[in-house]
Amino acid sequence: MGRDGKCERFERLIVPHLDAAYDLARWLVRDPAVAQEAVQEAYLRAYRFFDSFHGGDGRAWVLAIVRNACFTALDREPPRATFEAFDEECHADTPNGLPPPEEVAMAREAQALVRDAVAGLPEEFREAIVLRELHGLSYKEIAAVTDAPIGTVMSRLARGRTALARRLGAPERKK
Amino acid sequence: MTALTCAQARPLVQAYVDGELDTAASLALERHLARCEACRAEHGTLRRLRAAVGAGLTAEPAPAALRRAIGRRLRAERERARPWRLRTRALVAVPAAILVAAAALALAPIAYERLAPGGAEKIVYHVNETTDPATALRNIANHVQSAPGLKAVVVAHNNGIDFLLAGARDKDGEPFAVRVAALKSQGVDFRVCGNTLARREIDPRRVIPAAKLVPSGVAEIGRLQAKEGYAYMRL
Repeated sequence: MGRDGKCERFERLIVPHLDAAYDLARWLVRDPAVAQEAVQEAYLRAYRFFDSFHGGDGRAWVLAIVRNACFTALDREPPRATFEAFDEECHADTPNGLPPPEEVAMAREAQALVRDAVAGLPEEFREAIVLRELHGLSYKEIAAVTDAPIGTVMSRLARGRTALARRLGAPERKK
Repeated sequence: MTALTCAQARPLVQAYVDGELDTAASLALERHLARCEACRAEHGTLRRLRAAVGAGLTAEPAPAALRRAIGRRLRAERERARPWRLRTRALVAVPAAILVAAAALALAPIAYERLAPGGAEKIVYHVNETTDPATALRNIANHVQSAPGLKAVVVAHNNGIDFLLAGARDKDGEPFAVRVAALKSQGVDFRVCGNTLARREIDPRRVIPAAKLVPSGVAEIGRLQAKEGYAYMRL
């Protein structure tokens, strides 16, 4: 692959995911300046290792690199994929009492509430929720980005959602 | 299909809401939801939660300054990586052994045709304490790229195994594991000498999962050449 061919492919397959990359970084490092730095590093790394990208899902490929760069920026190891069993219990106790979606959507306050709730999640739940809800990644894609088995992805989503429902649902129920 | 029980249905609800269930499972779950109020409530709660989270999270586009900065850095990187314009300092810094290996790589196609006539190219790379692993991985990646179907085995021993231990990073702080995994996905095998681990008292669990253990690195290199027709290259 010639250098110009590599540039062209990189521009076409990887650069378009910059918005998603920045957004994921923002949610992971929780600081816009650090997020920008991490994304720059990630894109440089992605370009250097672009020869190892053999087609397929460019978004999942680059988001995985962004995620690693974020944990490097935070000076931490990424959360380990533990082989936890799919936890049925956490499905069973999702609290009820959420307001109807249209009310939530309209209320700015509620938006801030959701953002805070997501920002407050432990990072392995936070990244799964952000990849799923904000970027619409499938379980398989999330598994690829976070280097975790699909069962772990499902369990993290379920537990993240249970925690969110608790945070978002509880104030409503008190009224 | 027999009807689902609540215990069977509950774990499917999230996957259903996420659109991850196949048609048959979706139909079975829908039948269950029609009958079971508790599971229906769970389904409703999850759907409302998704809607609330979806409405609450807004994507923020990458700032223009970030786009520009990335553009600048990629251009600089392209300049830096321009082939055949090696800076003198870099040339002096590259150990002679690696230059010899690089020259051998350039000549590789002819040599291999003789070694493995008609068949796939097979090569065992010998990595020891004199090897710069970053350079070695780059050379291997280039080799894999230019020789489709190449069967390659990397055998590491002595201090050459360090880049295959968990958490190992190059001088720029890049984890080696990423590049090793990328090469492994392209069919490159990594093997670590068990004798080295024993002698250096390294817990085998510290070896990254992408690499395999062999009893003796030297014996493995000999075996691959003698029994399996591999060509040998010291990196």
